[in-house]
Amino acid sequence: MNGTAYGALLDAVRGVHWPARRHVGGGLPGAHPSTLRGSSSEFSEYRVYRQGDDPRRVDWRLLARSDRAYIRVATDRAVLPTTIVLDTSASMAFPVVTRTKWTLAQEIAVGLAAVAHAGGDAVGCVLRDERGGVCVLPPRSRRDAVNEIARVVAAADPDGDAALTPMLALARTPRLAIVTDLLGDADALLRAARARIAAGGDVHLVHAIAREEIDPPARTILAEDPEAPIVQRMLNERTRREYDEAFGAWRAEMARQWRAAGAAYVEIMTDEPAAHAVRRIAEPR
Amino acid sequence: MTWLLPSALIIGGIAALAAVAVHFVARRRPMAEPFPTARFIPRRASQARVTTLAFSDLALLLLRMFAIAAIALGVAAPEFAGARGRVTRIIVVDRSRAVGDPRAARDSVRPLARSGDIIIAFDSTARMVSAVDTAPDGARGSISAGLAAAERAAAAVSASADSVELILVSAFTNEETDSATTHIRAAWPGRARLIALPPARAASWRPGVVVHASTGDALRAGLALAGLVRDTGAVHIERSEVAPADSAWARQPGNVLVHWPAGAGDARWPARPTVDAIGGVATSDGTTLVGRFPRVWRPLGTPVARWADGEVAAGETRSGGGCLRDVGILIDPASDLTLRPSFRSFATALLGPCGGTRDSAPIDSTSMAILAGAGPLASASSLAENAGVSSPSSAWFILVGAGLLILELALRRPARRAVA
Repeated sequence: MNGTAYGALLDAVRGVHWPARRHVGGGLPGAHPSTLRGSSSEFSEYRVYRQGDDPRRVDWRLLARSDRAYIRVATDRAVLPTTIVLDTSASMAFPVVTRTKWTLAQEIAVGLAAVAHAGGDAVGCVLRDERGGVCVLPPRSRRDAVNEIARVVAAADPDGDAALTPMLALARTPRLAIVTDLLGDADALLRAARARIAAGGDVHLVHAIAREEIDPPARTILAEDPEAPIVQRMLNERTRREYDEAFGAWRAEMARQWRAAGAAYVEIMTDEPAAHAVRRIAEPR
Repeated sequence: MTWLLPSALIIGGIAALAAVAVHFVARRRPMAEPFPTARFIPRRASQARVTTLAFSDLALLLLRMFAIAAIALGVAAPEFAGARGRVTRIIVVDRSRAVGDPRAARDSVRPLARSGDIIIAFDSTARMVSAVDTAPDGARGSISAGLAAAERAAAAVSASADSVELILVSAFTNEETDSATTHIRAAWPGRARLIALPPARAASWRPGVVVHASTGDALRAGLALAGLVRDTGAVHIERSEVAPADSAWARQPGNVLVHWPAGAGDARWPARPTVDAIGGVATSDGTTLVGRFPRVWRPLGTPVARWADGEVAAGETRSGGGCLRDVGILIDPASDLTLRPSFRSFATALLGPCGGTRDSAPIDSTSMAILAGAGPLASASSLAENAGVSSPSSAWFILVGAGLLILELALRRPARRAVA
């Protein structure tokens, strides 16, 4: 399976821009504002010449008029290499029959990769493959980068309870998009994300939630945590209200903590079209 | 096809309905379903059960119903035998001392007995015989024993007959009945034919007691005080070892030789392993004597007195027309036991004629009516049920039921594992 399987999605997200949330560091010329000021054609301002500046950047005409030496400062633009970190734990395969949460997560990963790639950014992917090993696709900007990501994502099968945090260390790009349901090592993941943000990284947390988790079926369910089968709780009319309150409070707390850490937190629901969700993630305003 | 216990079918039906009801209204733990956010459900509800009305596990329900049906059929014990269409007779014949002429009993039975009928002869015990004995051994008769044997025998013939006729051939004297007789007769589910035999005439009883003992013997003193001691009589008490002449005398009809040792060296009966003491002794008719008695021997013969713990204290052995009676009750010569009124009663009961006092009077008409009973002959099926006869197919049905229950367990376990 490759990008053709996501053709409709890729068509829908065409034209979507995913700008950097802050100026990026130096790098190859790209579409994102850079922290560097250089000599590109996009004039920004004048600055008084200081010793050591390149004399070729002195505006001679202004020097002739004002008898003062100024140099022309231009805003540089750079690429923002991006890595999609996809959670493939067992909790993502929900509901068991339709797996809508996993399908949505796959589409979000491919959609974000396509948007980043369309903006000229190199894009990679980190996830656990169908054999349980970690699959790292380093950021690439070549033409088939999105197809390769789509193939790897489509082949993955959510299973097990492996932690997501170690995979962050494998994603060395300045921008990270983490697609997860946060039902694994959420605290450790948040700590790792804080460190990345403090180092100047740009972290997007895409919190995937199944509609059935928000609104469980009305019948009585003996709910079993797929990542910890020892956890079995009875969900019925007596416990439903407390479940709703606890789950809602937890989601609110997750959003608050991630946003407080400086990450872009977006909650996506399985009944939301993937293209729409991608647009919300990339263009929050 | 008939059923030995038809009520088991009703009980089995009720049990099957109960199984269906329980199956539909069972409170059970639902199957666990993966639910990633299970951690947000309150923990207190993890042990809750849910009532389901779903028609699930049809195979399990059918298995349980078949198992119950098989066990009910096994307990109900179906009889697949064909028609029998005949009446079997059980002839209970008195051969006790109460019958005056044994030949009369034999002559009464002969025209009644047919091939396949059962003849039971009884005195104090009963047993099946092929022909009636001619010489009674002088034992006391027990109609209860004869009736009990007849009911046991009826179970055996019930498989080859439709009805069983009970014929009682007896002298029907008072001494042949006891308090259990009417109860045992009531257990026979049908009428009985009674054929009365002429009772034996009671032999003349000379109650005098001759005591062969030393002067000053405590037993002699007690019996003399009771007015039982005579110069001649049918009862001789020997306090020392029995001489051959005494034994010869005991063989005379109606004579009773009582060997009642004065000391431990005056008898050669089998000794007990240990010598101990006991506080009381009672005769067969319930007369008791309380005192402190050493127990040295184990007298042989038919018990006529027993110690308080049931061990034989005195036994009687037939000898010709008379009998020998060994009394292993040692009396302390220094005690006044023999002078007490209780001893007189005890001694009187112990010094009776051979085989005990006879009561040759015929039983009253009421008792005869109870023995005869009323209604039709006893049906073979009712006798088989009373006798606890089982059907040959019962074991197979119960075996099938047990197998189905084991299968049910195997079918039920995977479901439990899925929940655990």
